[in-house]
Amino acid sequence: MLTCNKSGDRMVVDAPNSNGPFQPVALMHFRDVAPAEQEKLFIQKLRQCCVLFDFLSDPLSDLKWKEVKRAALSEMVEYITHNRNVITEPIYPEVVHMFAVNMFRTLPPSSNPTGAEFDPEEDEPTLEAAWPHLQLVYEFFLRFLESPDFQPNIAKKYIDQKFVMQLLDLFDSEDPRERDFLKTTLHRIYGKFLGLRAYIRKHINNIFYRFIYETEHHNGIAELLEILGSIINGFALPLKEEHKIFLLKVLLPLHKVKSLSVYHPQLAYCVVQFLEKDSTLTEPVVMALLKYWPKTHSPKEVMFLNELEEILDVIEPSEFVKVQEPLFRQLAKCVSSPHFQVAERALYYWNNEYIMSLISDNAAKILPIMFPALYRNSKTHWNKTIHGLIYNALKLFMEMNQKLFDDCTQQFRAEKNKEKAKSKEREEAWIKIENLAKSNPQLQHDQRKERPMVRRKSELPQDIYTTKALESHRRADDMLTTHDGL
Amino acid sequence: MDAFKLMKELRVNYEQEAHYLPRETGLRLIESTTEDDSRISAKCRDAKVEDVWSLTSFFGYSTQTFVLAVNLLDRFLAMIRIQPKHLSCVSVSCLHMAAKVTEEECNLAPPVELIRIGQCRFTASDLCRMEKIVAEKLNFKSKAVTALTFLDLYHQIALSHCTDGKEILSLEKLEAQLKACLCRISFSKAKPSVLALSLLRQEIHAVQSEDMLEIACHIQRHLKITDAELRLWSERVARCLSDYSSPECSKPNHRKLQWIVSRRTAQNLHSYRTVPELPTIPEHCWDESESEDSCEDVMSSGEESLSSSLGSDAEGPYFPLHLRRQHLHA
Repeated sequence: MLTCNKSGDRMVVDAPNSNGPFQPVALMHFRDVAPAEQEKLFIQKLRQCCVLFDFLSDPLSDLKWKEVKRAALSEMVEYITHNRNVITEPIYPEVVHMFAVNMFRTLPPSSNPTGAEFDPEEDEPTLEAAWPHLQLVYEFFLRFLESPDFQPNIAKKYIDQKFVMQLLDLFDSEDPRERDFLKTTLHRIYGKFLGLRAYIRKHINNIFYRFIYETEHHNGIAELLEILGSIINGFALPLKEEHKIFLLKVLLPLHKVKSLSVYHPQLAYCVVQFLEKDSTLTEPVVMALLKYWPKTHSPKEVMFLNELEEILDVIEPSEFVKVQEPLFRQLAKCVSSPHFQVAERALYYWNNEYIMSLISDNAAKILPIMFPALYRNSKTHWNKTIHGLIYNALKLFMEMNQKLFDDCTQQFRAEKNKEKAKSKEREEAWIKIENLAKSNPQLQHDQRKERPMVRRKSELPQDIYTTKALESHRRADDMLTTHDGL
Repeated sequence: MDAFKLMKELRVNYEQEAHYLPRETGLRLIESTTEDDSRISAKCRDAKVEDVWSLTSFFGYSTQTFVLAVNLLDRFLAMIRIQPKHLSCVSVSCLHMAAKVTEEECNLAPPVELIRIGQCRFTASDLCRMEKIVAEKLNFKSKAVTALTFLDLYHQIALSHCTDGKEILSLEKLEAQLKACLCRISFSKAKPSVLALSLLRQEIHAVQSEDMLEIACHIQRHLKITDAELRLWSERVARCLSDYSSPECSKPNHRKLQWIVSRRTAQNLHSYRTVPELPTIPEHCWDESESEDSCEDVMSSGEESLSSSLGSDAEGPYFPLHLRRQHLHA
């Protein structure tokens, strides 16, 4: 029989052959006991699985008992999957307790560099050593939650705010498999426990705030955003004020962080979902994106362009008109970018039918903004592929309205000529000054013969204090004496 | 050039212009052809001329190059029947030939560039051969009298007679309008001198200058252009220009063009749209009764909110009492 004599504490099994306070015993299989006894056995197995084993500092310890626990967990997964009416009321607290004991732990500090230096493509995440057991605990808990017999009304006594808070803290785990399970688990909890929803959202907000404004480090942002995506997708209309604030104060600032690449697809999905729910949010969203537009980080710029195109795919024409001018001014800069991927990605917008129809409806405003950037780069950009794309963009503009295009061309040439005239004027002014200077009667005429430039060692003025300080300087070694034992 | 010399120049060109006109029968044949795979139609030619204009604009060639290219193209098409699949090669050859005689060497785009940007399917050697064929058939050396020649002369004449001519009459604008007309094959039937005069009169009418109108009449008398002919083409030009000036924008077709991007960008494009795995969780209108309270608490820290928002969901201690007791017994 297994005893847990300390509630809530972590318990580790003593080394085999020691006279410990408890001896783990392999319990019977469910199939070998009468149905009336199964509930009791179930509770025993659950409690047995509250014993924790060391996988990290001593991986080869207690191999037999690790296997017993693994088998018990596995058996329980099967048991609740294939049997009905086995999740009875006494089971709930045991399951929740077992999960809590196994899972809620302080995550080890990361051995990988944090924040922006962590490259998700290069650095290997530190995987959880106890995964053989943890995986089954997650699996079991998930089946438990998803079982048709699961009753949230009973479970809510045990799955409460503190539980959820500790669950959320685990999202910072470096092990992606763990985060995947956590994601699904929290998703199910959010779905079933209506009373916890507000709390979960608030706590997630706090995690994001801390991430954006304090640490810029958290491994689970992508998973949390994925859950939020499914929540946003289900928002009722009209959107609550709380959700709009969430978009503006949390989701948009998430674009600022350096490690955006880790979670950008999920973030973009959330933003687009919001706009599909309420198109009046378009203007603040687009203006915020333009405000946070990366100025020196080109891969991030490409991500922003991806997101912007997705937003434009669903934008209402009336909203488009509100943001078109600042938007295309930014696009003009992107098209001129010497980074070829940025320029390419921006130019590829012209291959989007819906964007083209939006532009053609507003060509009179947009073409004068885009034209100079396009036309200038058709000559000066170093990349040949870009030339081809610029040609396409210009050609499409021409097809929209020939006269507008011609007017822009004429204006461009006029501006260029003005610039040329101005620079010529400037040069002439300089020559005039030079000539004036040459004809100055005070100018020494025996400087007619050009003396070769001789390099003279420059002599610095002496400062008495500096000289003294340099003379009296002694090295630290000379002044400090070493003490033994320090 | 002084006024007298200009008028003389005008006469000389007027006498030569007939040599450079495309054969009318040939043009009519093209105009009457319906959409067909074996013959060039008017629509086909017009679309190709627009492509030539796109290339002209892209490479920064002058309007003169364009007008000359179109002149060569129309003359060739009116003389020789070609298959539509060769039209691209012919038009780009004409453009290149025109650019060689008009543009400066340093601004000339190499044939390979023309082909690449124009997204053409033929090679540089094809282009070279076609140029030779066109030059031979048209007996082209370097010159042609086109509507632009006349437009230029008319403009100079007008300027020499009016002191503030430059502000009123913009040659650049006239050139753009000429280009718009040349994009329609019907205007290739017009005599260049008449077409140019029609354009001039149209613009003079727009700026409402009496002096200029007088000059235009003077030119008409000098060249002995009939009223009937002038009126005919003026009407057509007016219609064309009103279409051209319309603020309506048509939706362009991006599919006709090739979109070549680098491998990295191409990969990026396709892998971006992620399909969400988690099913949607619908929001119930009655579930978030606490959301009003938590709205203000959005900025608060975790500990604070834990104690304050234990509303209807008041949770007990983590390990309920009965569980603790059970542990002691087992």
